Amino acid sequence: MEQPIIRMEGVTKQRRHKMIGPIDLSLPRGYVYGLIGENGSGKSTLIHMLLQTVFPDSGRISWFGHAYTKGIPMEVRRQIGYVAEKSNLEEDNLTAEEAAAFRAYWYPEWDQPYFEKLCGLFQVPKATRLRKMSKGERRKYEIAAALAPHPTLLLLDEPSSGLDPFAWKMMIEVLRECLQTEDTTIVLSTHIIDEVKRLADYVMLIHHGKWMGMAEKDSLLDNWKEVWAGCPAADLEELPNIVQTQQESHGVTRVVTTSCRELEQILYDSGINVLKTRALELDEILTLWVQGYRPAGVQEGEEQTYGTIKTS
Amino acid sequence: MWIPIQVNENSAEPLYHQIESQLRSLIISGQIEEGTLLPSIREFANGLNCSVITVRRVYQDLESEGLLRTKQGTGTFVAKVGTSQREVFRREAVEEALSHAVDVGMSVKCEEDELRELFLSILKRKYHPEKGEGEA
Repeated sequence: MEQPIIRMEGVTKQRRHKMIGPIDLSLPRGYVYGLIGENGSGKSTLIHMLLQTVFPDSGRISWFGHAYTKGIPMEVRRQIGYVAEKSNLEEDNLTAEEAAAFRAYWYPEWDQPYFEKLCGLFQVPKATRLRKMSKGERRKYEIAAALAPHPTLLLLDEPSSGLDPFAWKMMIEVLRECLQTEDTTIVLSTHIIDEVKRLADYVMLIHHGKWMGMAEKDSLLDNWKEVWAGCPAADLEELPNIVQTQQESHGVTRVVTTSCRELEQILYDSGINVLKTRALELDEILTLWVQGYRPAGVQEGEEQTYGTIKTS
Repeated sequence: MWIPIQVNENSAEPLYHQIESQLRSLIISGQIEEGTLLPSIREFANGLNCSVITVRRVYQDLESEGLLRTKQGTGTFVAKVGTSQREVFRREAVEEALSHAVDVGMSVKCEEDELRELFLSILKRKYHPEKGEGEA
């Protein structure tokens, strides 16, 4: 099997109020990983560790199969594109053009026509100093500048913050195009569920520093469903992978399951009618996941060492 | 190439299964012709708002059924569908629809004879529409 682009094993980092991790993950190349968690849950710390701007207290990280304990070499770092949560102050007094020239110096792969195309598309003012730009304009410049060297790995820390809905849609299109034409791997930290819905192949969840794991997006959506069954609630309460049961009316029970196919089969075998099914929205799924309902097929670590959450 | 596939999120049927069965019937029924270049996995996934993992699985399944073939570096194409394969598919599609109709009849407690009569009268109406409709 191909070397994962990123691997983390037992990675922890003590922050002021909490411990982040231990994180175990393995990211194969060519996918989009949506990283979700509330403010302060550790998303940015995770991304900083991938850039070695923060070092873990324990555990191992590898990039393209190498640990780079003495620092990520320049030629590897150049393959990593990054949009920070907060703008880079060093570029504050430069215009978009000047900042691009500076970045082009460090990135041999810098594609100036592509950068200009993106800036045109995003309507980034070229001659305005970055600190004078609106939050959205600055964001758009940063996304264009991160994409211009055609990175192998793209780390986006809440890239859409400050973008208006039109610019947001354009960003989605630009990232999609980039995924279609190149084999980019993207780690995308976000609060926007729709962003995950439209872009991600995998969903990673972190909650108050605790690593909840990683699951295939479509498998989450396929498995977590609300089902209305033609039977009393008592018949269903003992079944496996049931999150909630509620008697709707006489002889109709609504259940939320984390394993829809399995439930359907059980109901079918017992001759119970399924009256209706509804897919849970991704945000409903994440809320339940945070509460400790573990999705089927979740990757929590190589050996499942940290899989301590019980499906209550 | 745009592929007319309609995904129903609320169905209990998994996403990959829905996409796979629809793509299969488009190919076998000849609606997508032999030699057609399908979208890249990422392009198809973007169009359906699903993940590349799902689309890759569909392409792999249909390739192993012989309906698709992948040329390194060029993409995934629709393969030749044999006449016998098409025959089987035709028969199965009709059988499935009829069996569903019978299920509906049974669920409203139709007797076998009643269903048979209904079926024959519908047949008559569809194949010979010119003859009066009140007969059945």
